[in-house]
Amino acid sequence: MSIVIKQATVLDLPEIMKLETASFANDAWPEETFRSELAAKHTFYILALEGEELVGYAGLSKLPGSDQADIQTIAVREDKRGLGIGRLLMNTLTQQATDLDAKEIFLEVRADNSVAQKLYKLFGFKQIGTRKKYYQPDGVDAFIMKTDLKLKKNKEPIVLGIETSCDETGVGIVRGNTLLANIISSSMDKHAIFGGVVPEIAARAHLEALTPVLDEALEKANLTLDDIDAIAVTNGPGLAGALMVGVGAAKALSVATGKPIYAVNHLVGHVGADILDRGELQTPTIALLVSGGHTSLLLVRDLLNDVELLGETIDDAAGEAFDKVARVLGLSYPGGPEIDRVAKEGNPAAIRFPRGLTLPKDMEKHRYDFSFSGLKTAVARHVELAESKNEEFSIADVAASFREAVVDVLIKKAVSACKDFGVPRLLLGGGVVANARLREVAKEQCEANGIELRIPPFSLCTDNGAMIAILGAQLIMAGRAPSSLDFSAESTLPVTTVQS
Amino acid sequence: MKTSAASTRMGEHSLAIDTSAGTTVAVLSMGTVLAELNYLEPMTHSERIGSAIQKVLNDAGLKPRQIGTVVAGVGPGPFTGLRVGLAAARYFAIGAGAELVSVCSLDSIALDFYQANPNAKNLVVTTDARRKEVFWAAYSGVINGIPQRTHGPSVNKQEDIANFIDLASHESTELGVRAGALGQIAFAQGLTPQGRNKDITPIYLREPDAVPSKGKKVSG
Repeated sequence: MSIVIKQATVLDLPEIMKLETASFANDAWPEETFRSELAAKHTFYILALEGEELVGYAGLSKLPGSDQADIQTIAVREDKRGLGIGRLLMNTLTQQATDLDAKEIFLEVRADNSVAQKLYKLFGFKQIGTRKKYYQPDGVDAFIMKTDLKLKKNKEPIVLGIETSCDETGVGIVRGNTLLANIISSSMDKHAIFGGVVPEIAARAHLEALTPVLDEALEKANLTLDDIDAIAVTNGPGLAGALMVGVGAAKALSVATGKPIYAVNHLVGHVGADILDRGELQTPTIALLVSGGHTSLLLVRDLLNDVELLGETIDDAAGEAFDKVARVLGLSYPGGPEIDRVAKEGNPAAIRFPRGLTLPKDMEKHRYDFSFSGLKTAVARHVELAESKNEEFSIADVAASFREAVVDVLIKKAVSACKDFGVPRLLLGGGVVANARLREVAKEQCEANGIELRIPPFSLCTDNGAMIAILGAQLIMAGRAPSSLDFSAESTLPVTTVQS
Repeated sequence: MKTSAASTRMGEHSLAIDTSAGTTVAVLSMGTVLAELNYLEPMTHSERIGSAIQKVLNDAGLKPRQIGTVVAGVGPGPFTGLRVGLAAARYFAIGAGAELVSVCSLDSIALDFYQANPNAKNLVVTTDARRKEVFWAAYSGVINGIPQRTHGPSVNKQEDIANFIDLASHESTELGVRAGALGQIAFAQGLTPQGRNKDITPIYLREPDAVPSKGKKVSG
């Protein structure tokens, strides 16, 4: 589903009236009322179109000289509800109100329409009064709701982002779409002897790193906490105990400074990182996020409103596979750079290691999913067999062939997602992007298929606070209300929950 | 600069935070509790902590910047929960420009016990450390508002505590950690020559239980 928002004209009246009468059984506006609304100079009506079809509309009224705006109406076709179209429409209207220098937006909503009320609350609307029996002939009360656009007037909010979902403690600061600071403290060295991230060790390191990382970020940005407009924090997905350190810290900082807090999704943050690199995110895009904790393929039609998980790993993350294979080969942790180094001298076609979930029967059910567990075992068997026979084998060939198998599956599935959905863009994120062969094959395959490839700088690909800050800034600029202080750390937060 | 500003406010108003068991927070003025909130459930620290701090500040009628000292309960306690309060204490102190001090969480239980039992002599405090062990500490009484710890804090099997102290001469208690009591101890410590403990490293008492392994064979 791809939705286009476009300004309405009087020519759209017949289509709008069809939806109006279908949506508002007893209290639809007469055609003449709607005609004058569309024609008026002080109104702003928009349509949501799926292809040529009208699936929703909404309107705003703002009289010149007044600093108040009103949401006049909003409707989404019944079979298209719950897909985020209402949010898209509200987004556009609140942005328009901000552009017209409104300080407040008002609206009325049926007391019995809790779905609409929930949508408005998402945009910071609060009930300020009730009009008794406003909707006739049903005799239903109207709630009067209002939202303040004070923070939204700030076109370029300064946002501090806190990230502790795995083994990097990150604090980043942005102003609007501009990166001001990105400080990362990694506990990677402490995990080295274990060959993988130990959650308890990561969580301990987060607590130790919190203060120095914050101090350094403020210093780098040359700001004090007073300059910050809002705080953003990762509340999932990730390691629960690690997430809780950042969540506890961020909430207390929010209370202590009185700054609003935004709880945001780590994976969506990885996608948002591209904004830091080039000032905007071009959508739609396919995003391939590959790290020690995640291997996810996303279809991003809109960063804040429409992110879909196409597939993910069903066992090990790709980065984890690199670490495990590195151990099998007697290489050190983290495995990615080590395998990259050794593989340079090897032949990637020497051993044909299995490509997980690429057989026709798997492709039916797991077209965009990944599996690296079988590959890891195949490498281990290969090495153990050679060792048991006291045969010489080339570590370089094994490393190169293993790496080729991982990269092959990752890029093939990402490119086929681009083709399947007609999306001419691929964005890479996550720590495994550091892998030279991954970038090389991505470049070749994207060029061959007419796909634009985006790879942000490595400091923005690995886990960091700046990508959390930039996602917070996008939410603020889109007029989203802050999160309530009671959100939780959610280790399995779905990618569809951009803000908690 | 920050230090002198804080020291003029030191002791006036403090915020105490402890998540070593449940979530407990309190606001105190000159060692007197103005507001306190106790959530006993052991799994909701990260959800509760923000609103809990906000609520005690509101109840006490204070703004964050009026807090001169943040008192952190440093455990011992189950690690995941314990860290939430310590992370919150650190960032609240930075945000409010307050000083940061620490108190052993078990000391608050001892203070409450002796206040309720002024004639009691020796006390052993135990809390659940999971894995069939307890965190514990022993006390001989309270002097100038400060519980006098004679053993611990340590982590042991309940039955092994007898190897360290004479259990027959120690009373025990069912009381739990309370932020108000932590704040009172920190205030009392501020009046002593030893002063206040500014190291807010958690008292873990156990190493992370990860063992470096050589990796196991996948083929027989």
